[in-house]
Amino acid sequence: MRYKDYEIPDELYYSKEHEWVRLEGKEAVVGITDYAQKQLHEIVYVEIALKEGATAEQNQTMGTVESVKSVSDIFSPVSGKIAKVNKELADSPELLNQEPYGKGWLVRISLDDFSKDKEKLLFAKQYAEYLKTMED
Amino acid sequence: MSKGLRKTHLYGFHKRKAKMVEFAGFDMPLWYRGIIPEHLAVRNAVGVFDITHMGRAVITGAESEAFLNYVTTNDVSVLVPCSAQYSTMCNETGGIKDDFILSRLEPEKFLIVYNAANREKDFQWLVHNAKSFGVKVEDVSDRIAMFAVQGPKAQRTLEKLAGEGVGRIERFKCGWLKLVDVDVFASRTGYTGEDGFEVFVWNTPLLEPVKAVHVWNAILTAGDEFGIEPCGLGARDTLRLEAGMCLYGNDIDEVTTPLEAGLGFVVKLKKESFIGKAALEKQKAEGVRKKRVGLRMLEKGPSPRPKQEVWKDSVQIGYVTSGLFSPLLQCGVAQAYVGVEHAVEGTAVTVRVRDKALKAEVCRFPLYDPAKFGYARVK
Repeated sequence: MRYKDYEIPDELYYSKEHEWVRLEGKEAVVGITDYAQKQLHEIVYVEIALKEGATAEQNQTMGTVESVKSVSDIFSPVSGKIAKVNKELADSPELLNQEPYGKGWLVRISLDDFSKDKEKLLFAKQYAEYLKTMED
Repeated sequence: MSKGLRKTHLYGFHKRKAKMVEFAGFDMPLWYRGIIPEHLAVRNAVGVFDITHMGRAVITGAESEAFLNYVTTNDVSVLVPCSAQYSTMCNETGGIKDDFILSRLEPEKFLIVYNAANREKDFQWLVHNAKSFGVKVEDVSDRIAMFAVQGPKAQRTLEKLAGEGVGRIERFKCGWLKLVDVDVFASRTGYTGEDGFEVFVWNTPLLEPVKAVHVWNAILTAGDEFGIEPCGLGARDTLRLEAGMCLYGNDIDEVTTPLEAGLGFVVKLKKESFIGKAALEKQKAEGVRKKRVGLRMLEKGPSPRPKQEVWKDSVQIGYVTSGLFSPLLQCGVAQAYVGVEHAVEGTAVTVRVRDKALKAEVCRFPLYDPAKFGYARVK
């Protein structure tokens, strides 16, 4: 679905910090939403502070995204172990702008207990409503 | 979001086309297409900025030169009619009240353009200090729309609208032009490091924006063949930082002196008296302890940001006051204050970003190659 200019794929889960979660078996692929990349605009640097094998707690800071004039934290939307970090972002941070739900993914996390994570996540429709309330 | 914020004549245009941001109480454009394309348009061709939010005052009267020589640090007596100078106002301890451009319109009439964030403060300071002089200080901020047309194609853009008279206004000169059918005042000044003009549309109150909108649209149309971009405050900041120009509140403030900021060229200690003279004279004799320098990051990584510490070997030597990603140089750049003994081009330092020490080097301003970019570029 869409809200205004923002793409919100139906099959994903969303956090209020504007990360998305795609379930793939016992792993979750995580990235930032189309809304987030459009707000940040011109992303020039991405840093995932958590290394592969490290433990991420839900809502824990796992890295930062920098645009020309600003720095924003990225929070882990789920709890688990970092299985893989998208290494392409080191040389091509613009992938977050170009394909926020595709090649611009941030990390794969091996999930601890998604049923628990889910309580704090939103469905696409709820995320769209959340974006709407933010603009009021 | 825009509730209670002040707007400029171009608010409708900005709101439709730009990502907006609050700045000094105004709802202003941060970027239209993006900071990077807007920045590059100004370095390579031309860009236009709405800078109506800036503060403006007109000073008139028989003693206006004497008054301005007392309240500002630069030498106003060298300013002939139709010329402009960069200057500062200081407090008694030599701290910078503000930096600004002062233009002499007529022998006894001056225009001062200062920072939006200091509008009230500066006007009050001028009025307060004018009491013992035969002058009138008038706030004309709300009657004027102001656009900066900046870049190597700025002159040609304006020539299409105002003819050859544009070229007769040399750098740091000013004069009247007829732009399309509107009389405007233009000064060949700016805040980007590039050649360019600041265009004042007089007598255009906010409630009658037609004249201002007309001039803005005419500039955009004229610049179209050169690839003109409307530019927001984002590119304004990246451009001025690369050029080594100060942002008030970041790089200079009331506890920083012009000598520390590297603005000694606008402090004329030979003048008889001016506010802050004694303090600045003393500092000059004793030597400054810190100095403003440029920094350039040497490795790919986070960009430096204000308040981060600057270290050399295992000692903190200073701090960042402005920092961002340079769209032209494609790396992190900063303005920082460091101990004067370290303010030497090429000095290897580190900037502490979060838990890391990132390699950087001390640079002179401008941060770009002045043979290739900026007003003094080789044509």
